[in-house]
Amino acid sequence: MATGVARPPEAALRPRPLARRRRRPADIAFHAGVLSAVVVALGVLAWLAISILVAGLPALDLHFLTQKTSASPAHAGFNSALRGSFVLMLITMAVAIPVGFAAAVYLEKLAGHEATRLPVLRRRLAALTAAGGEGRSAGRALAAAWIRARLAWGRVSPGVARVIEVNISNLAAVPSIIYGLLGLAVVVTFAGIQKSLLAGGLTLAILVLPIIIIASREALRAVPVSIEQGAMALGATRLQAVVRQVVPAAFPGMLTGTILALSRAIGESAPLIVVGGIVFGTAVPSINPLQAGETPLFAMPLQIFFWAQDPRAEFHELAAAGIIVLLGMLVVMNALAIWLRNRFTRRW
Amino acid sequence: MPEIKLRARRGAARDALAANVSEVAPMERTMVAPAAREGAAGDLETVFDLRDVTVSYGGRPAVKGVGMSIARNRITAIIGPSGCGKSTLLRCLNRMNDLVPDARVEGEVLFHGEDLYAPDVDQVDVRRRIGMVFQKPNPFPKSIRENIAFGLKVNRQKVTDERIEQVLRRAALWDEVKDRLGQDAFSLSGGQQQRLCIARAIAIEPEVILMDEPCSALDPIATLAIEDLMRELAEQYTIVIVTHNMQQAARISDRTAFFTVAGTEEGQRFGVLVEYDETIKVFQAPADPRTQDYVTGRFG
Repeated sequence: MATGVARPPEAALRPRPLARRRRRPADIAFHAGVLSAVVVALGVLAWLAISILVAGLPALDLHFLTQKTSASPAHAGFNSALRGSFVLMLITMAVAIPVGFAAAVYLEKLAGHEATRLPVLRRRLAALTAAGGEGRSAGRALAAAWIRARLAWGRVSPGVARVIEVNISNLAAVPSIIYGLLGLAVVVTFAGIQKSLLAGGLTLAILVLPIIIIASREALRAVPVSIEQGAMALGATRLQAVVRQVVPAAFPGMLTGTILALSRAIGESAPLIVVGGIVFGTAVPSINPLQAGETPLFAMPLQIFFWAQDPRAEFHELAAAGIIVLLGMLVVMNALAIWLRNRFTRRW
Repeated sequence: MPEIKLRARRGAARDALAANVSEVAPMERTMVAPAAREGAAGDLETVFDLRDVTVSYGGRPAVKGVGMSIARNRITAIIGPSGCGKSTLLRCLNRMNDLVPDARVEGEVLFHGEDLYAPDVDQVDVRRRIGMVFQKPNPFPKSIRENIAFGLKVNRQKVTDERIEQVLRRAALWDEVKDRLGQDAFSLSGGQQQRLCIARAIAIEPEVILMDEPCSALDPIATLAIEDLMRELAEQYTIVIVTHNMQQAARISDRTAFFTVAGTEEGQRFGVLVEYDETIKVFQAPADPRTQDYVTGRFG
């Protein structure tokens, strides 16, 4: 012990004890703030859901689902609206999916790449004009003109693609009533399709197109470029690489976006009113989409709107039952989208 | 003289591959083989002939004034510090740079004496004959079988079980995957994925395989497996490999090209070819002091 070295006092050697836990007022205020926001948001939703379940469940039975609409609340059913919405979805899908997917593939995978063709095209043009000195033929002039046109397009296409891109994002934010007016102008007045399920389906297709395009581009962009390059390094053309590798890899994501877009379309009422949605009709609408051009425009949200407006309380019950059906469908569609996303999403 | 380790390789990867690897000791293969071949070097068939090649992106040169020729059935390594344009140069050998907007290749790239960039040359045929393996394994998100089949399909070749087996055997992957050809390629380990990518590349019978740092994402054992495989493949294919791993270049290549970054007074930086010779010479008796500094680890 007697080392001779002067030891500092005991207290200085001992480490400072850890500070005690304490509640900071700012923390408490923050937690209380965000928690009450959640309570308000979810509380309103829960109150809505419960009040609708209470009002609508008694009216929700087999009769309600199988009977056509009627002026008498005792006989009125949701079947016409269900059939109408079913056909609307079929038409919307048939139009919006191919057009939306194709547009997304073009914008994401092909438009930007026109520019990469420029050096090749320039060399080809130079070879053509150099060889043109000896024998000028009409075919060669035509080929040169074609290459010049492609060069011009290659130079402007990135700009064009950018303009389109910005506008598609804007379109997705346009209020749906505007799409109703667009549908009225394009589908009914210009294309001459009478106000029917077909007109409604086409209008909804225009409405969801931007959403599908944006979601699909997002999904395509998530596929690494290395997949495309790997395919092309094996002697695939760009088209083969995109169609056989990139699109299949992006497909679950594209499908997820599409389902979410359709779940928006199924609940839309404003654009349907503009293109001739009817809320009362004794005829049972056909579920054959080929006859949609002559079938009156029934749809679930329209039927709910009509019933909810009626002064008779029995109809309010029916409206609540209709809301339960519509909400149920939305939940199923969104769940399907989430399942698809979780099941097929890859970490690259 | 710098001390270079051209060492024998032993370990788990070699044992696993023993069935597929020829019984020649690796030591002999790396050290004796290139020296023995030296006499024949003069009359080797040339696959690529690069004449004053400059590649630039958007008007800025990435690599400038490269002249070199690449011999058939040899492994040619391209080494050098980051940013010296080695990958850029490699990618212009199968016109992958064409996929990059604003990329421009000047000078001549001759493939068997033919201008690779002639206006009427089909890029698809170029890439079919000159395959490529990328830095990060990039299997298609499909089954192992389909990864091999894709190249055959786009080249209108028959896809048979025998063909798939043959290709996977040649890539030293068959024993590990034969029971799960239908499984997703992403279920493989990184090294297996890279060997699958090599298998995929050789399935379409290219003449040349370009490898862009194929082992940089792999652990040492997987790296050795790939290196063994490359030596095997060199008997049949011409291999050009970009690597930042000098030991790797020393172990596997017959000839080595050393690139470095040069610049002008205006602050432009681009890659230049410093030295290109037999690997043993580049590593043991480099002619240029910059090469000497790099291979001894004094720079880079």
